[in-house]
Amino acid sequence: MKAIFEALADPTRRHILELLRERPHLVGELTELLGMSQPGVSKHLRVLREVGLVHVRKDAQRRWYELRLEPLVEVDTWLEAYRRLWDERFDRLDNYLQKLQTKEKKNVQK
Amino acid sequence: MSKNNSTTSTLSDREFVMERTFDAPRELVWQAYTKAEHLIHWWGPKGWTLPVCKVDFRPGGVWHYCMRGPAGEESWGKAIYREIVEPERIVYLDIFADEVGNPIEGAPEMLITMTFEEQGGKTKLTSHTLFPSAADLEAVLKMGMEEGFTQTLDRLEEHLAKMTV
Repeated sequence: MKAIFEALADPTRRHILELLRERPHLVGELTELLGMSQPGVSKHLRVLREVGLVHVRKDAQRRWYELRLEPLVEVDTWLEAYRRLWDERFDRLDNYLQKLQTKEKKNVQK
Repeated sequence: MSKNNSTTSTLSDREFVMERTFDAPRELVWQAYTKAEHLIHWWGPKGWTLPVCKVDFRPGGVWHYCMRGPAGEESWGKAIYREIVEPERIVYLDIFADEVGNPIEGAPEMLITMTFEEQGGKTKLTSHTLFPSAADLEAVLKMGMEEGFTQTLDRLEEHLAKMTV
């Protein structure tokens, strides 16, 4: 999770993902589109591959870089779980506060 | 759940916000959130207990707890209080930890700000989560959801088919 966040933190890497979203690209194409050196592009691609956002498909002599969306689904699932966690926490707190106050009222009546 | 205590949530960039209004005075909500004797009754997922809950409530102090699930599974958590403005605001670092308090590697560390607002005898509680890295959460969600996962995969497949021909 942390690694995915870090990989996405960089604007150039997000730009690469945007380009790959349109279609798979060759390193040379990305180099041209981004106006960057090939080693620079390769460095970013390596980070993206390490977290599973990019996959390489070999086609004869060419290496196509493709987008993989599974890690993003993982992030999304995690966030949804996080939202539910707070919702449940608030539910329990709400119940507990009601219980506390009912007790208090009873004590006052005595 | 009544209308009064529904939760709203918003998400932008690195932030995640949830709010709910509780039908209880602010002082009570504050106590419930900061004292071990109260936390053991409600903290943790539904059906879970809190067999360990140590609270050192002061800036720099640690709140270390163990949550036990219905099947006996255990999950430890740790918070480090950063800022305490009684009875309005608590800022703490939320960390997934083990039983001795060592952070679990790779788990996100989150900065949580809890705000307690008095509203005519009721209390609006807001939890604000700041995610650790400079990652653009919004971009993450946009790519994962808005575009549609299947749709993109379909397009990718189409393209691959074209390329092989």
